Amino acid sequence: MMYFAFLFGFCFVFWMVGVSCNPSPYYGVLSLVIGAAFGCGLLVSMGGSFVSVVLFLIYLGGMLVIFAYSSALVEEPYPAAWGNRGGMIYVVSYVLVIVGYGAMCYWLWSMEGYGSVTIDAGGLFVVRLDFSGVAWFLLFWWLVVFNCWLKVIVDVVCCDGVGSWFVLWGASSD
Amino acid sequence: MTPLHFSYHSAFIISIMGLSLHRTHLISTLLCLESMMLSLFIALTMWPTQLQIPSLMLTPMLMLSFSACEAGMGLSLLVASSRTHGSDQLQNLNLLQC
Repeated sequence: MMYFAFLFGFCFVFWMVGVSCNPSPYYGVLSLVIGAAFGCGLLVSMGGSFVSVVLFLIYLGGMLVIFAYSSALVEEPYPAAWGNRGGMIYVVSYVLVIVGYGAMCYWLWSMEGYGSVTIDAGGLFVVRLDFSGVAWFLLFWWLVVFNCWLKVIVDVVCCDGVGSWFVLWGASSD
Repeated sequence: MTPLHFSYHSAFIISIMGLSLHRTHLISTLLCLESMMLSLFIALTMWPTQLQIPSLMLTPMLMLSFSACEAGMGLSLLVASSRTHGSDQLQNLNLLQC
């Protein structure tokens, strides 16, 4: 279930990259609206539904409406679009900044790993902790077999074989 | 650092880079300022939510109200410069000649 919140976080960062490297203010305002919507989803997934509604009302409904009208004030006759402009290097460099930041967080500063440690997940693992016993069994079944063999061999060598079982059984039934 | 904290940290870094590297329009600077405020709001809301301290929920509300005032001020400056210079292109703001 936490992956839902991670999805909102990823989409939030994606649209913030779209705000920073917008080709024209129209696309910047659009990216900010959608990024704010995903940020609200992030807050809702953590349980804060009231602050999410407040954010929608005041931020999107108040401030960004004014921004949309102001970007209509400073309009230009031929606004650039996402594909045909020379600013694609900014998009690539911002994505590389995020990837580099994530790599630094993971390899330099991770004390418990990249992610929260609960029974649902440990870092970036996708298997629950209590389900993984079956996975361990599928890997190490030969240990169980080896253990049984060792027990039979030790029984034969130390306790005079299988015959000692019948002696004990006969002794207990008297 | 958990991925939730990483999301607003990297959003803030990207926004502040977009603020400093804006190219043609003044309004994209103000947009990056607004996205910085958004990431700070999410940060300030995530903190009392995870620590379960209700009194710290005051800070995102205060921050949102001040951010609305600041956005209004920035937009009024934008409208003023658009009236005097004709548009908000940064190459038109060249009175200092440097």
